[in-house]
Amino acid sequence: MTSYISLPLYAASIGQRLRLEAARCSDCGAFTYPQRPVCQNCHGRSFSAERLSGRGRLHTYTVIAPGGAPAEFDHQQAMTGALAVGIIDLVEGPRLTAQLADVEVEDLHIGLAMRAVVRRLYDQEGVIRYGTKFVPDEAP
Amino acid sequence: MTRVAIIGAGQTPFRVRPDATLKELFAAAVEAAVSDIRHGFDPQEIEEAYIGSLATGGSQLGNFGPLMAENAGLTGAAAQRVENACASSGFAFRDAVMAVASGRVRFALAGGIEKMSDLPRARNRGWLGVSGDVEWERLAGTNFPGIYAMIARRHMYEHGTTRGQIAGVAVKNRSHAVANPKAQLRKPLSLEDALAAPMLADPLGFCDACGITDGASAVILCRWEDAGALTDRPVEVVGSGVGSDVVALHDRAVCTRLDAVRRAAQQAYASAEVEPADIDIAEVHDCFTIAELLAYADLGFCSEEEAGRLLDEGETRLGGRLPVNVSGGLIAKGHPIGATGTGQITELVHQLRGSVAETERQVPDARYGLAHNVGGSGGSAAVHILKAPA
Ligand SMILES: [Zn+2]
Repeated sequence: MTSYISLPLYAASIGQRLRLEAARCSDCGAFTYPQRPVCQNCHGRSFSAERLSGRGRLHTYTVIAPGGAPAEFDHQQAMTGALAVGIIDLVEGPRLTAQLADVEVEDLHIGLAMRAVVRRLYDQEGVIRYGTKFVPDEAP
Repeated sequence: MTRVAIIGAGQTPFRVRPDATLKELFAAAVEAAVSDIRHGFDPQEIEEAYIGSLATGGSQLGNFGPLMAENAGLTGAAAQRVENACASSGFAFRDAVMAVASGRVRFALAGGIEKMSDLPRARNRGWLGVSGDVEWERLAGTNFPGIYAMIARRHMYEHGTTRGQIAGVAVKNRSHAVANPKAQLRKPLSLEDALAAPMLADPLGFCDACGITDGASAVILCRWEDAGALTDRPVEVVGSGVGSDVVALHDRAVCTRLDAVRRAAQQAYASAEVEPADIDIAEVHDCFTIAELLAYADLGFCSEEEAGRLLDEGETRLGGRLPVNVSGGLIAKGHPIGATGTGQITELVHQLRGSVAETERQVPDARYGLAHNVGGSGGSAAVHILKAPA
């Protein structure tokens, strides 16, 4: 038993998951990402979708020991051991929690420039769920 | 508003109890609370019962409040389950306080329960760790060990807090639990061993976290004017506050403080007409060690920069200026999720009455006690202030 996002809901959210489409408020211009029905700045309800650059800096992070991540990632942890997760300050303002990839854990530090990439997150019902991970940004 | 008194409080020992049912555990907690009422009390007097539980032991039972009430001999009381993650029974307590304060009922019960040992590990990992923004935190790769670890890392970066200070919370609370027979972990822990424990989510190790446990707790409340006939030493609920906040850590402007707690604390202090400096003893929500350091600042005991030092200097130890988690806290007394909030109240009631059975852990002459109960990583929080009998 694990937590669950149905395939229709997953399909409907691919824009924000893989293309980082934020909800830009028509009233105040603030980005709400991940998207929500109400603007988190002014509580407006009309939006246009706008892509975030995917560039940002590491706000904080952790390296989770095998068995310490949610059950959905047991398979991944069985293969890779520890799993690095961070919160990224995106340049447009929103923050996002995501796994950190293609980086040695010793090289992680607060402030590290990172960029978004699309990677496999986990499998559910035989379907691979892709999502955003962050890798070091060579040319920020 | 009517003044509100606590006349009885009790809990089961917090233990792994695969042999005990939810019904048995809750009935035992209610029995402990009823028998704590000095001059006798008929539980049938209880008109409303608020029972905190995250997930009824992972079983997602419906009509859970009436089921627990029936088995505890409270059939007929309007019973309901209250859910706000790990703050479930802090919120249940708030509801019971308001039921009495509003004049609606004469007697109300607040309690909480969780069984974490019933399901096999694989299924447990499904229902635990669902009190954050599951879609954007858990399914990105982390639940609470990682979330609190990221708070800890940022606290170290921004406020100079050290790994030793964070682990020191576990060392202190484990030392307190040695004398508490209700506590789950009663072996002391050295700082050396805490720091040498295997990593859970860097910078937090296994000694910085709570384990699996089962338990229940219950508190009985009534109008202040009725309390004197039932007990010699009623404890007054003088302050009550609750708050919530964005659920995901990444949506907070500052991730080293919990605004839900700050909102709840502000209400609690204002309604009690006291200041943080007036608090003599506190039970705070140390679900992870770093959470206790957050609590020091969120509750106004010190600034964020000073939190580590407050711990280091022994001010929050038994015998210090402001003893925190003399019960052992969640880390050592145990954290059966839904039972924690009213478990904290139970400890404070006994401390403020001077009726702690183990005299070596009785805090002398405490006047005001504060309970701080947090849901998830701060999506919700309840803060209550209790006053000792005159
Ligand atoms: Zn707006």
